[in-house]
Amino acid sequence: MTTINELIDISPSDELLDEFAKREIRRAILSAVAIPGYQVPFGSREMPVARGWGSGGLQVTLAVVHATDCVKVIDQGDDDGVNAVNLRRLITSSTGASETSVAAEATIVQSRHRIPEDGLDDKSILVLQVPVPEPLRGVERDMRELARMHAEADYSRMWVSLYEDKVRNGLITQTTGYPCHVNGRYVVATTPIPRWDIPRLHDSSFLTLFGAGREKRIYAIPPRTEVKPLTFDDVPFEVERADGARCSLCNSDDAFLVSLPNSPVWMCSDTDWCRRRRELTR
Amino acid sequence: MRRDPVLDVRHLHKSFVLHAVSDRRVAAFSDISFQLTVGEHVALAGMSGAGKSSLLKSIYRTYRADSGEVWLQIHASEYVNMCSLSDAEVSAIRGHEIGYVSQFLRPEPRRGALEIVARSARQRGMSVEDAREAAAAALSRVGIEERLWDVYASVLSGGEKQRVNLAAGTVHPPRLLLLDEPLSALDPDNRERALALIASLTKRGVAVLSIFHDMEAIQRLASRVLVLEKGRLVAEQSPKDLDERLTSAAR
Amino acid sequence: MTNMVEYGRYPVARLAVPEWMLRVEKLGKVYGAHDDEVIASTGPESGTSKSSLNGSIVAAWDVSFEVAAGEALGLVGESGSGKTTVLRCLAGDLSPSVGNARLRTSRGEVAMFDLDSAERRLLRIDTLAVVYQDPAEGLKMNVSAGGNIAEPLTAAGWRSFGKIRARASDLLTRTEVPINRMDDLVRGFSGGMKQRVQIAKALANSPSVVLFDEPTTGLDASVAAGVLDLIRSLLEEHRIAAIVVSHDFSVIEMLTSRCLVMQHGRVVESALTDQLLEDPHHPYTQRLVAAARA
Repeated sequence: MTTINELIDISPSDELLDEFAKREIRRAILSAVAIPGYQVPFGSREMPVARGWGSGGLQVTLAVVHATDCVKVIDQGDDDGVNAVNLRRLITSSTGASETSVAAEATIVQSRHRIPEDGLDDKSILVLQVPVPEPLRGVERDMRELARMHAEADYSRMWVSLYEDKVRNGLITQTTGYPCHVNGRYVVATTPIPRWDIPRLHDSSFLTLFGAGREKRIYAIPPRTEVKPLTFDDVPFEVERADGARCSLCNSDDAFLVSLPNSPVWMCSDTDWCRRRRELTR
Repeated sequence: MRRDPVLDVRHLHKSFVLHAVSDRRVAAFSDISFQLTVGEHVALAGMSGAGKSSLLKSIYRTYRADSGEVWLQIHASEYVNMCSLSDAEVSAIRGHEIGYVSQFLRPEPRRGALEIVARSARQRGMSVEDAREAAAAALSRVGIEERLWDVYASVLSGGEKQRVNLAAGTVHPPRLLLLDEPLSALDPDNRERALALIASLTKRGVAVLSIFHDMEAIQRLASRVLVLEKGRLVAEQSPKDLDERLTSAAR
Repeated sequence: MTNMVEYGRYPVARLAVPEWMLRVEKLGKVYGAHDDEVIASTGPESGTSKSSLNGSIVAAWDVSFEVAAGEALGLVGESGSGKTTVLRCLAGDLSPSVGNARLRTSRGEVAMFDLDSAERRLLRIDTLAVVYQDPAEGLKMNVSAGGNIAEPLTAAGWRSFGKIRARASDLLTRTEVPINRMDDLVRGFSGGMKQRVQIAKALANSPSVVLFDEPTTGLDASVAAGVLDLIRSLLEEHRIAAIVVSHDFSVIEMLTSRCLVMQHGRVVESALTDQLLEDPHHPYTQRLVAAARA
């Protein structure tokens, strides 16, 4: 009989994902790419990061990465966040892939919150870490009913919640995870990216993969796919905007800006982009 | 030249089987036969319980007769037998070819008099505007003032309700009209109006079969009286020969 | 006696009767195994819907009828009679054991029970609507009145917020729900008001058939009268083919022109509504009517 001590003693192999796991995840990814927006269930493995900290994104990256790849990992647009650093180290040390903070140099970008302002092309794969992959979670709890709604493209309850939102708040207020219609068929949750980044998903040159480790789902938006944010014909989809705000470091007003709480100071969310902007204007 | 009858009742029988009382059979009327032609007003007379109301209802199919035929003219020289029509067919001709005005109006709680009469007109094929106009005219004719037209019919007096009922039944009169005591709750003035209205119907060619307990009404309106006694048709008389006892109001 | 002209035979007229919108043929619903003997062991003669042979429940059997546009058909009976079972089979909430139901739609005749669940759902969007006895079954309580009406509209493809709102307020006005409550959650409405919202929602996509299951049971008498009145005028205005299930004869009398009486899963009598109330034939019908008149 196995004892507790024996379990503790099991030393991890160098690889975080064994070949069988990678195979299964790759199959799930292929299914996801073949059916844009469809949430493919997969057997989510134990990872050295806790659930809710990017284990799904990590598994997707590990399944597609190769020693020849160059990996960029960002957290809130920042390469130097503690989480981003951790994940980048895990990936590069276990696979031998190189790392970069420049999006244009990366072949794989894993992100918790943003799409880099530029640099992604048809050789890039964007891997997003998704906390809640189910866009209808707010309107339905029953799993069978959710499955039916997606299967029958019955999104009327989603529309009702958008209606209620508009009635109660004057506009549709969802900030992250804005529901989008992919390829005219499935509605997806675009967590974790802000509204600002959503138009970039539409007809993109790059492949986007969404990994949810805790919820055990993978979905994908292939390049050149139609992505339309759900909204009424007479209620335009608006991105976040702060009038007159400019980055205090590089002075740009055409990138996604963030500010510290209770501070009037704005800064670019994409730190690498900001740095390169500053270099150009020096 | 004898005209085709509008209504030809043949050997009509009606009884009730009361299952709750050991299936007892109670006869309402038996072997009734008579005819009505265009523009003829025939009144039924007899003591209460003689079967007059039952006969009217059996013609209208509110009661299902046990046997016999009720031939009703639908188009020129084309007929249907009310007794053998399906429920859907009866539904289709009620209000169109055959009408029934009872003494009671059970109005929907919140419909005004004008709306009730207008709906009757619409059911007979009138357009919405024409129906409204005809309803207004019909209500004026029975003396219902305009200020009452949009009042909920349920708050009208008994006599007012009865007049609304009469207006609804006659606004676009069908070929055959059955009247079951349509004047019972009316005061003299309104009774006069109603009598004039009913008289005008026969002038327009409507065949009328009526029950009045009012001797004067029968004498003014009817050209023939059929006397029923214990469910049988026992005599046919001219209104002026009618025995007053047969129009007894005792119920 | 005046000389009656003896007519040998009258030339019989062919009556133009409105065509059916919904036609049900031999609908049956049985819980448990059944064969001819099991079926025969239930019904009015046996006095039960539950077979003494194997305990199977014959909730409804051999139910057939037609309803035309602009006509309301009543299904009356006590609880356990099978009337609600029939309604739920037509609504798609239950699947029948045997029988057909054909519906005339703009797309032609549809055999309802042959459709899969997705197709049935599409039917429920714009052709057939249901008003349930319990408004919580037909409405989302934590959604506003307007939002509840937005659901069938968006399901039918409406995408303009302005138009959705205009249509919702038009329907609420017609069902006499105060417009200033359009954005209030339905949970906070009175029973009668909830029913009105349910009716407004049912009419959202102008269905040709509406099923009403005890639409006013549980409402105060005056409130019920108002709702019945509303239903009656809406049915007439839109020439809807309606089925009204009720144990209450005053509802049947108010709304329907023909009706069927059910007992222990079978239809025991079928008649014009006024005839049923004044000249009931079947012993059970006579008891029901007598009790209602008491």
